[in-house]
Amino acid sequence: MSALTSRDVLRPGPKGFKAVVQRLVFALMPSFFTFLRRWKPVMKLGNNYLTSRYDDVREVFATDPAFGVVYKPHLDVIMGGQPFFLGMGDTPQYRHDTDAMRKVVRPDDLPVLAARTQAQAAEIVAGANGKIDVVDTLVRRVTFTMLGEYLGVPEPKDGDLRVWATRLFEFQFADQGNDPALRAEVDEIAPALRAHIQSEIERRRADPGPDDVLSRCLALQKAGDPAYSDDFIRTSLMGFIVGGPPQPPMVVPQAMEQLLRRPPALAAAQAAARADDDDRLRAYVMEAMRFDPLAPGLPRVALTDWTLGTGTSHASTIPAGAQVLAAFASAMMDPRRVANPRVFDPNRPASDYMHFGFGLHECFGRHINHATLHLMLKPLLAQPNLRRAPGKAGKLVKNGPFAERLVVAYG
Amino acid sequence: MRQTTLSVALEVKPESYDHLSSLLDKLRNRRNPDPSGGEGPFADFLTRVPAVHFMSLSVFPGFDYDPLFVIEANFDGEKGPFWGQLESAIGPELRAMLRCCKRPLDNAGPLFDSITAPDARAPIAPYLERRSLTPTVFHQGNRGMTRDRILAEHKLFEATRVELACANVDGPNPYRVLTPRQIHAKLRAAVLPDFAWLNQKAPARITLAQNIGDWVRLIGFIVATVFVLSVPGLFLRLAMPWDRYLILLVLVFAGIALLLKKIGVALPGTGIATKFSFLKFFFKQLPPLLLFVAGYLVIAVAIGTPLSMLATARNFDAAWRGMIEWLLWGLAGAPVVVAAIVLWLRVIERRDSSQDAPPVDPMMLREMARREDWIPQNHMGSVVLIKPGILRAILIRAGHRGLGLVLRIVARSGYLGSMRTIHFAHWAMVNNRSRLMFFSNFDQTWESYLDDFIEKAHAGLTLAWCCGVGFPPTRFLVKDGASHGRQFKEWARHSMTVSRFWYSAYKDLTAEQIERNFRIAVGLRKRTLSDKDAVLWINDL
Repeated sequence: MSALTSRDVLRPGPKGFKAVVQRLVFALMPSFFTFLRRWKPVMKLGNNYLTSRYDDVREVFATDPAFGVVYKPHLDVIMGGQPFFLGMGDTPQYRHDTDAMRKVVRPDDLPVLAARTQAQAAEIVAGANGKIDVVDTLVRRVTFTMLGEYLGVPEPKDGDLRVWATRLFEFQFADQGNDPALRAEVDEIAPALRAHIQSEIERRRADPGPDDVLSRCLALQKAGDPAYSDDFIRTSLMGFIVGGPPQPPMVVPQAMEQLLRRPPALAAAQAAARADDDDRLRAYVMEAMRFDPLAPGLPRVALTDWTLGTGTSHASTIPAGAQVLAAFASAMMDPRRVANPRVFDPNRPASDYMHFGFGLHECFGRHINHATLHLMLKPLLAQPNLRRAPGKAGKLVKNGPFAERLVVAYG
Repeated sequence: MRQTTLSVALEVKPESYDHLSSLLDKLRNRRNPDPSGGEGPFADFLTRVPAVHFMSLSVFPGFDYDPLFVIEANFDGEKGPFWGQLESAIGPELRAMLRCCKRPLDNAGPLFDSITAPDARAPIAPYLERRSLTPTVFHQGNRGMTRDRILAEHKLFEATRVELACANVDGPNPYRVLTPRQIHAKLRAAVLPDFAWLNQKAPARITLAQNIGDWVRLIGFIVATVFVLSVPGLFLRLAMPWDRYLILLVLVFAGIALLLKKIGVALPGTGIATKFSFLKFFFKQLPPLLLFVAGYLVIAVAIGTPLSMLATARNFDAAWRGMIEWLLWGLAGAPVVVAAIVLWLRVIERRDSSQDAPPVDPMMLREMARREDWIPQNHMGSVVLIKPGILRAILIRAGHRGLGLVLRIVARSGYLGSMRTIHFAHWAMVNNRSRLMFFSNFDQTWESYLDDFIEKAHAGLTLAWCCGVGFPPTRFLVKDGASHGRQFKEWARHSMTVSRFWYSAYKDLTAEQIERNFRIAVGLRKRTLSDKDAVLWINDL
């Protein structure tokens, strides 16, 4: 089956010994980070540096003139050479492009998105007959439906947007090894998605349709705003589709798993869901995500020689060209800045969290995430007798960095 | 929950004093809703720095040193997370303020450079953490009460007020006809739906580990002090036969006593009548003192015996007997050493200068007055020079250490003796220990606060502050001194600066009200109360 017509959102994971090793690596990662924070805060591995303390991770993210993003080569493949702001430094074009997209992705949209998310999740949970896969049936479906409608990118006729976006996401953010098989799929999917969005742009130019991000872009284009060229609109929507909806199906089920491991926290989150206390529920989900965030860290490349942690006992000079992994998963567990990090505490200040990065390239969709992630679980948490499904299905299974399956039962 | 009191004192570039002051005013204006000039919401701090109880930012001008920028903070938990939270809340503002400060000449210089260079983005929390000063003495009024608990229990208190006032508004108040036990039961049932935490066990304000830690530190300090005071006697006894040693002790003690009797009286015009008597105090403290001496012997013998066996090759039995005997001879010399120190001190005290009319800058006074008395709480910050001399240097360190340890034991009920107005207060030494800094967050006016101190805690206050240059005349560290009310207040005002930025997480609550809320909450956490407990509990409603 072609990558374009595949219905398998995730590629087959490793089997046998490789799978065991991968699980072991993921399981040992928190202990490894604890060791690094204490003994080797900036660890060198060839031309790669791993930084694990809160202060250093923040410094890497905040110092974008010295630590640039590494996304451009893969973005060029995905976008067909068109620039997307995720791959840029703090340039005038970066400011221009992000400002342009902020005009069409507005704070006023958040309540509407929240309401849609909750309604869609409620509908799915109600129709699931007391047993549901949190990853695919609930979160992935809600996310792609909600964001697809919001952005104005419908399902392609002969493909599956979930598959396309997730493949491109994997290529962009997880494929450090440059897997040829994945690249072959990307070479099929990326042009197809570009063509799909371009055709949608043209269709909507003739028939504006509902109020969504695409229609707002086209309205501004029609009004003569030179920022909104077809290339810019297409590339931005591509970027949002690739960088956005594949993430909640990773992190939200992981949060659910963490809640299931902590019955008192789960009970409190359920109480908040039943009491319609969305702020409280968000606090529980955010805290649960801290124990298993989206990724161990984000990569950056040193643009110049830079001494990290200047003046401290672990100051390390990172040479220009070296790659740095800023381990925000470790930073959120650093007792030097996060009070009692091993304790599940939903009352933490926002500064304890780095779920969406920090600084120049902090996730563009962070406000949408803030408004919607917890609501994807809300109708499920409100169900009586929520529990893991029996057997292996009831425990979160991962496929590489992706959550693959977590089945829960209720009622 | 452990609470932390600390400060960071940083020298300011003289030319940046005005700029730094304006930065503090801007920050205050952005966050303070008070009618004294504030504009923005203060509540932001509650969510972004959830650990903080009180915090102040001040700049002290000075004739003897360059200006001093001080961050004073009282918060729940460890300092690392607090500095991280603070950076998240006001990081850019703090960085701008730090740029007004002088680069430290020690090893912290590169760290300072990394956070203050143009366009610097390195985190400032590590620098603040490194420059944090540990207080020499501190008092935490409502000790063990986390900020969130204080706020939650006050909310509960307000709910009880509403319930008591509004129950059956149209008819007779049902609570009036109930017994205290019934009032407790009815009130608990009424507030429980909104305060589910009443069904949970209250966290201990002072945990067993903290309690043990407080006692161990105090006992350790006393044992160390007794040992140090015994040292001259221990060595003398090694060099002298016992009978000559005893005669020497008696003669020296008698001589010192005679001299002290002669010079111990207050100098003309400096004495304040007091009921306090060292002899009465000594006899009152005799039982615990003897207990501590016994404890000292046990600990010193336990440590000294193996050392003695190692050094002299004696067997265990001979070693521990010999050790006790030797230690007792040392203890016999301790009173003479104490008397000699007191004599030395008294000689110094008689030569001390005090400042009769400390100058107070009228503009500064106006600025201070403009910021005081807007809420039930107030704040003061003061810096004074420390008197020179080796004895003072030793006494201030030992005195503050001892006072601090004693406060951890005796001031646990939310109050400092009979003073019920202090939330957090601390002393710390700055400028290479040549200046003493004092910060306090208290209830009521500055005048009444100091009056309270003068009337109820003048001995402790004198002990803590008598090392300050210009302090009113003092006798034997604790007498007179702060009892010179007017003179002391002028001196204190002279040493103060404007609290340009001051934050209180619960600005409407007095220390007394917090304890009252606590007692009500403790009662309501219990499902039932005995008649006797209910009668006591109801007094707080």
